Amino acid sequence: MSAVTATVPEDVMKTVQVKPTIRDEGAKLGFRLTLPAQILVLFIALFPLLMQLYISLTDWSPLSGLGWWNAWSLWNNFANYTDLAADARFWSALKRTAIVVIVCVPAEFLLGLALATLFADEFPGRRIFYSILLMPMMVVPAVAGYMFFMLFQSGGPVNDILSALSGFPVTIAWLSDPTLALIAVMVADIWQWTPLMFLILLAGLVGVPEDQIKAATLLGANPWQRFVTIVLPKMKTIIIIALAIRVIENFKIFDTLYIMTGGGPGVATETISVYIYKLTTQDLIWGYVAAIALAILIVLSIVAVFAMKRTARAREVTA
Amino acid sequence: MSAIHLQNLVKKFGDFTALKTMDLAIADGEFMALLGPSGCGKSTTMNMIAGMEEPTSGKILFGERDMAGVPMGRRGVGFVFQNYAIFTHMSVRQNLAYGPKMRGAPKAEIGRRVGAIAEMLQLTPLLDRKADRLSVNILQRVAIGRSAIMEPAIFLLDEPLSNVDAAFRAVMRTELKQLQRQFRQTMVYVTHDQLEAMTMADRIAVMDHGVLQQVGTPLEVYNNPANIFVARFIGAPGMNLLRGRPAESDRGLVIDLGPLGVTPPLPVEIAAAVRGSPGDVLYGFRPEQVTLAEGGRGLSLPVNFLERIGARTIVHLGQGESAVKAVFDNDVGLAIGQTAVVAPAARSVRVFDAGTGRAIKAGG
Repeated sequence: MSAVTATVPEDVMKTVQVKPTIRDEGAKLGFRLTLPAQILVLFIALFPLLMQLYISLTDWSPLSGLGWWNAWSLWNNFANYTDLAADARFWSALKRTAIVVIVCVPAEFLLGLALATLFADEFPGRRIFYSILLMPMMVVPAVAGYMFFMLFQSGGPVNDILSALSGFPVTIAWLSDPTLALIAVMVADIWQWTPLMFLILLAGLVGVPEDQIKAATLLGANPWQRFVTIVLPKMKTIIIIALAIRVIENFKIFDTLYIMTGGGPGVATETISVYIYKLTTQDLIWGYVAAIALAILIVLSIVAVFAMKRTARAREVTA
Repeated sequence: MSAIHLQNLVKKFGDFTALKTMDLAIADGEFMALLGPSGCGKSTTMNMIAGMEEPTSGKILFGERDMAGVPMGRRGVGFVFQNYAIFTHMSVRQNLAYGPKMRGAPKAEIGRRVGAIAEMLQLTPLLDRKADRLSVNILQRVAIGRSAIMEPAIFLLDEPLSNVDAAFRAVMRTELKQLQRQFRQTMVYVTHDQLEAMTMADRIAVMDHGVLQQVGTPLEVYNNPANIFVARFIGAPGMNLLRGRPAESDRGLVIDLGPLGVTPPLPVEIAAAVRGSPGDVLYGFRPEQVTLAEGGRGLSLPVNFLERIGARTIVHLGQGESAVKAVFDNDVGLAIGQTAVVAPAARSVRVFDAGTGRAIKAGG
């Protein structure tokens, strides 16, 4: 928005071309014109954040009988944050979420990259396969959740296929086993989000200058060497962006997972989002929820800032 | 062994024939320019020599060795791309070291070779600079160095100067020619710019529509074009060609140019050849080899336009079929609308068969 306030007076200056005092008036006009947009941004971004911070410092809950703006009377001396540090369930949810991210994002990345490499060249049926490949991304996550819920039933297709392949009747209770449930949830996530990785990485791959690849070939580089020395470095920016998007998104994994397992069995698949959801709807301790959410926001912001710095540097290098 | 032989080379892309039977022998250490307008097949020829494209039919020999099926990484050719294709994410040193490194040369050897090449190309102070912000002549040197370090027997250059601004091209041309003398490799240089071909090449292969039109030294191609395409294409402006009919006169064989009158008599050797050739001819002469023949014999034409290019002035005379260009010093006393009488220097006159477009040569 600040960019808009800056450019409007510039344009006014160019078209009117009068005495420099006009600049002040132009700035005023620009400010007035962009005011609605600025207020909107303020409400969309800043207000909820401040409200969250405010509530996170209190014991406020919708049951407390106070409007949220009166939450100051329930001030609890940072108790939410000290509780958070001691909350074993929070830390195990965080650990579980981290496991999901550490498994899913690299898996999606490698699959996406392999597919992108395959689709960078022309082959018969490329267009059709391309469309099919993008479909999982367009399935509503709740629907995907039900799909995988069905697939992973003990009498479901996954077990049927395993039976057919092994020759023995397989009746694994996927979603009732703590480890297998987490695996099933991750499989669903990888299925749904590999296409996004693929799409982003394909765009990056197509942008690698072809003559540099040819030059490398003429200098004797084999396909693997070309990939490592030319293609990957040229894709650095887009890889960082893709990874950052998926890490941030994956960290908030919820809908598909919740429908498949509800966070269970027990708390075996309870990720941060599921934990927050339960605290919000079952325990109704909103001050504490606000504190967790803010902590997560800070962690993800660090990821985002790190990614943005890296891309800025990468752009300087490859430009 | 770095001579190149192209034998009956043909390249088709689907229904489109990019190259119709090309035969060309490039000598070891020769600087050969492939010159022609865009779409003439010069780049296709080059890509086939490099191995980027497989010929539809015909042979490419390096020395005695048939290159069919030899992948581009193993042909021992250095290739300089139109935009140089420098690896911008690497330093100059990494660019130069790329080839030996990919082939697994020992570190110490790579260091030594990079050092030597950098010294030769005066890149030593720039070795650790990132390759993304170098000026274009440095890029050219890096591109050449990167290929030269592989000690290729053959260097292929694909219009390397076309992205360079005009003022800098002269510098780059000189530098390139000097580099070729240093390396003594066979060089094949693709260009649509005749000035580049003229100034740098030992021989020029002029191409058009997938057909090799003429091969010769720059002066041969300029002085004795094999056909009307070469006559018009080489030279700035190209050769004047006027349609006419041979006619005997008391002073020897002349060409009757219809409304423009008759030409001065042809030199005896050419006259003999023209007598043996039936039908209409094209009377050709270079715009630079024209004199004003005030009151004398010559072609009498109205001045249409004066194109001033500094030291010289190109005078556009006549129109349509009888358009003639003449180059004079810039103090030529002509004005638009005036009628000028111009006479081509007898030794510069060339005659072409109007039907086939081929030159009618003395003794040929």
